[in-house]
Amino acid sequence: MDLEQLRKTAAEVVVREDVKYLIGWKQGSYGYRVAPVFVEDASGAAELLFSPLCTANLATYLTLVEKTPLPRGQEADKRKVALLVKGCDSRAVTQLIVEHGINRDQVIVVGCPCPGVVDTEKLAEKYPEQGKPAEVEWNGENFVLLCDDKETELPRDQFLAEKCRLCRHPNPVISDITVGEPVEPWTLADDNGVEEIEGKNLEERQAYWEEQFSKCIRCYSCRNVCPLCYCQDCILDRLNPTWVNRAVNFSENTAFNIARAFHLAGRCIECGECERVCPANIPLGKLNRKMAREVRDKYGFEPGVDPEAEPFQASFKPDDPEDFIL
Amino acid sequence: MSENYEPNIVAFLCNWCSYAGADLAGTSRVHYPANIQVIRVMCSGRVNPLYVMNALQQGADGVLISGCHPGDCHYMEGNFYARRRMGMLKDLMEFVGVDPKRFHMSWVSASEGHKWKEVVEKTVEEAREAGPFEGFRRRQIDW
Repeated sequence: MDLEQLRKTAAEVVVREDVKYLIGWKQGSYGYRVAPVFVEDASGAAELLFSPLCTANLATYLTLVEKTPLPRGQEADKRKVALLVKGCDSRAVTQLIVEHGINRDQVIVVGCPCPGVVDTEKLAEKYPEQGKPAEVEWNGENFVLLCDDKETELPRDQFLAEKCRLCRHPNPVISDITVGEPVEPWTLADDNGVEEIEGKNLEERQAYWEEQFSKCIRCYSCRNVCPLCYCQDCILDRLNPTWVNRAVNFSENTAFNIARAFHLAGRCIECGECERVCPANIPLGKLNRKMAREVRDKYGFEPGVDPEAEPFQASFKPDDPEDFIL
Repeated sequence: MSENYEPNIVAFLCNWCSYAGADLAGTSRVHYPANIQVIRVMCSGRVNPLYVMNALQQGADGVLISGCHPGDCHYMEGNFYARRRMGMLKDLMEFVGVDPKRFHMSWVSASEGHKWKEVVEKTVEEAREAGPFEGFRRRQIDW
């Protein structure tokens, strides 16, 4: 990835009159951290970054903007928002367009074909984070860690993030401007964690998820980071009716986790952010992938690929499977 | 499981077909198991998946959702949405270890009093096989 080209393109976009700001990544303050940055002028584009450390899905910020009521006589800021996206992030943008969460003409998608990002947790385990920022770059197949003027080769199969091992869309699905050359999709890992659980019987599954869900501290990080969880009035926050009690116990945790997974069924674009931010390391990705697989196999639908598609749960086909109906 | 265990079934019936069907079963003096607690909703498409979760949390051993036959919905397409939703919910619940025998869906029209009887018998029988639901049921706390 040519950073110069990225920064130049970003600067050109940001100076446009109809653009409010550009959301991108920049170097974090220490270790393998990468921070989101809102670039408002051409000079800010110089700190933009696109490296294997850019795991975060920036599409979240499109719907996080607070819409406060306007004082009388004031016009709403109708300028566009530009956004750097990887393949998975572009699917989130597409899905948002499908759901009318954002308007297509309100966003400028700057696509960055992505050869896969690193799992920073695995990386920090092997090479502990230091007080100063470290860099990771793509080097052919593998990654290379630049730290203390030393170059360390990181084998791809060891450090590639889970979501990337199962990624089917490394190139942006939609983009107005593409920076860099498209990458060749790679062969997918065959262990997505779903079959492993499906091989268990009901008691074992119950025991497995009881152990996992009991760890949940109900911080709702998974909801907050998810680019597709953007309801202004979330059922989890609602007190009347109280759909899910606030008590942190297995029963309520299960209800919460099932509700979360269900709300994302047919919408989840598998960017893996929920799993990454989970402080209790609950394998939320398995739930999401299970639902994504059912939706794909049984209903022939894949979210976030076609901006013209109908939202999965708000549409139907007369010949949907009904083998479970008495 | 105790000898005289009787499962608790919560049934969500649509106002236009299944509720009338159950009513017909009653007026035609059809006998069916008394384990069903009926909740009338305007359409099977109105049943939120969280209703099912809440029923199981609050002590139901099984849940039944019943609506009009596809194409006969009073609201034209409500039951199609319900079918898609509940099919996925069933997969998800099975994935987290809830016995699929606890969750049923059926199409019962207003004239199918006898079908309603069969559906209830099947639901109760399967819930009985599955036994009392202990999974993620809300525990009573002794303060």
